[in-house]
Amino acid sequence: MIEVKNLTKRYGQHVAVDSVSFTVNEGEILGFLGPNGAGKSTTMNIITGYISATEGTVKINGIDILEQPEEAKKHIGYLPEFPPLYMDMTVQEYLDFVFAIKKVDPKLKKKQMDNILDVVKIGDVRGRLIKNLSKGYKQRVGLAQALVGAPSVLILDEPTVGLDPKQIIEIRSLIKELGKKHTIILSSHILPEVSAVCERVIIINKGKLVASDTPENLSKRLGETSKMTLRVAAPEKQVIKVIKEIPGVKYVEAQGVYEPDTIDVLVEAEEDIDIRRSLFHALSRAQYPILQMKSMDMTLEDIFLQVITEEKEVS
Amino acid sequence: MLAVYKRELRAYFSSATGFVFMGFFLLIAGFFFARINLFRASPNYNAVLGEITFIFLIVVPILTMRLMSEEVRQKTDQLLLTSPLKLSDIVLGKYFAAVTVFLMTLAVTCLYPIILSFFGKLAVWEIVGGYIGFFLLGSSFISIGLFISSLTDNQVIAAVATFTALILIWVLDSLIQALPTSQASGIVFAAILVAAAALFVYYTTRNIYVSVGVAVVGVAIFVAIYLFVGSGFFEGFIGRAFKWFSLLDRYSDFRLGLLSLSPIVYYITFSSAFLFLTVRTLEKKRWS
Repeated sequence: MIEVKNLTKRYGQHVAVDSVSFTVNEGEILGFLGPNGAGKSTTMNIITGYISATEGTVKINGIDILEQPEEAKKHIGYLPEFPPLYMDMTVQEYLDFVFAIKKVDPKLKKKQMDNILDVVKIGDVRGRLIKNLSKGYKQRVGLAQALVGAPSVLILDEPTVGLDPKQIIEIRSLIKELGKKHTIILSSHILPEVSAVCERVIIINKGKLVASDTPENLSKRLGETSKMTLRVAAPEKQVIKVIKEIPGVKYVEAQGVYEPDTIDVLVEAEEDIDIRRSLFHALSRAQYPILQMKSMDMTLEDIFLQVITEEKEVS
Repeated sequence: MLAVYKRELRAYFSSATGFVFMGFFLLIAGFFFARINLFRASPNYNAVLGEITFIFLIVVPILTMRLMSEEVRQKTDQLLLTSPLKLSDIVLGKYFAAVTVFLMTLAVTCLYPIILSFFGKLAVWEIVGGYIGFFLLGSSFISIGLFISSLTDNQVIAAVATFTALILIWVLDSLIQALPTSQASGIVFAAILVAAAALFVYYTTRNIYVSVGVAVVGVAIFVAIYLFVGSGFFEGFIGRAFKWFSLLDRYSDFRLGLLSLSPIVYYITFSSAFLFLTVRTLEKKRWS
C-alpha cells in the first residue's frame, strides 16, 4: 500500500510537484498519466526515496520513506525511466549484484532468481553483456531488477517506452500478471496502455493532480456531451439546414464526402438530450435516407486533453 | 558495502582502467627503480618511493574519475540510492575498491626490494615504513578524487579537476613561502575563515540563525585565542593553516623510514574527511 500526502517538490522558484495526494491500495494497479514534464518522474523518484520531497510524506506499507528509508526501500521495486543497468556486466552478474544490494536472504535467492528469469523471459541472455542486448531486452532486465527481493510495491516509470508493438503487448500482460500480487504504480503518456492495464487512473499536469478515477468512470464523467456522426444520402446544404432546425441540436458541421452522393456530418446535441429519434424523423420526412449513424465515445485521449486544458483541480 | 566493493573492483578490470592504472604505475616505478637502485647500485629503496610520488598526479585521476560520475551518467545511481543501502556503504565500497587496485599495484612493486635483497642486506623495516607512508599518501589522494567525482557527472571534468586539486596540493609548500606572515594578515585570514564557515553553513542548511551562531562562535574562538594565547598566534597564521593541508610535508618522515603515529592519524583523518564530504554531497543532491 502506498500513501502519498501533500507531496510538494520545489526547485528554487519552479514547483515540479504541487501538493499531490493519493493512495494506492494493496493489489491495485494505478495508472499515472500526464504530458511530458508534468512531474510524473519526479513524483516517482520521491516515492522511491531517490530524491526527497520539499514537503509532504510518503508511506510504503505504513513505513515513512524519510524516517526509515532502509526499511521502506526493502518493499519497493523501482524501474526508472532509463533502466539503471551496468553496461559492463552480464545479466547474471548484474542480477547477482542487485540481489546483494537489496539484501535478499541467500536461501531464497536461487528460487527467486529462477522465478524472475522465467517471468520476464531473459533466461536465454543471462550470460550476455548488458551493453550488447537490444532495447527490449534491456528494458526486461530493468524490470527483472525491480522484481528482485519480491517487493510488495512496484513503481514502473514508462515501462514500454522504446519497445516494439509485440514487446509492448508482452510487457503489458506481464504487468497485469504482476498486478495480482503486487501494488503497482505505472506511469505513461501513452493512453491506451493505461486503459488496458490500470484499474484506476490519476492525471497530473504541471505538477498538480487534475483527475483521479477508473478509466471507465473518467470516460463517463467527462464524456457526457453527446456527439455523433451521420452519413446521409443528400446534398450538404439541405442536410445541414434540416438538422439545424431540430430542437436540441447545438452544433452541426459537414465532414466531407466519403461515398458518392452522400455527406458526412458531425452533430453535437445539448447535454442530456437524446436527439437520435428526432434526427431520424426529420431526415426521413425530408426524404434524406440515413445510411450510417455512429455516436462518438470519448476516448481517454479526449478526456486527457480536456482535463489538462480545463485545468480543473479535483479535491 | 561488500557488493558495491566487488562490483567496483570487477569494473576496474572488465574495462581498461585498472590495467592502464597498473601498467602506467609500474612503468614509471620500474624506470625509477632501474635508474636509482640498479644503475647506481644503491640499496636505498625508499628513495624510489619518494621520487615516484608524482605519479599520483596522473594515475589517481584515472582511478577515481569514473567512481561516482559514471553512476550518475548511466543513471545507475537510481538503483543504488533506491536500494536499502546506506550512502556510507556505497561510498566506502567504492573507496576501498580503488584503494585495493592501488594496493595490488603496490604489491607488484614489492618485487623490486626482493630483487635488491639478492645483492645485499636491506633495511627491511625502513622499506615497510616507506610503503605504509606511500600507501597512506596514495589513499588520501584517492579520497580527494572520489569526492571530486561525486561533484560532476562528467568523467573528463572529474579527471581534470582532480588533477588540478592534486597539483595545488603539490605546489602548496612552495606557495606557503610566498604568503604574508604579518599579524594583520593573520587576523584578516581568520575573519575570512569564519565568514566562509558561516556562509557554508548557510548554503547547506538555509538557516540564518544557525549560520549567525557559527559566525559568533568562530569570532569568539579567535578572540579567545588573541586574549589568552597571545597575538603571536596570528603571525604566520596563513602559512600554518595551509601547511596543515600539506600532504607531502608529512610524507617526509616516511621517506626517511621513520614510522610515527601522527602522520598516520593525519592521513586517515584526511581520507575520512573527504569520504564524509562525498556522503554529504550525495545526500545534498537528493535534497536540492
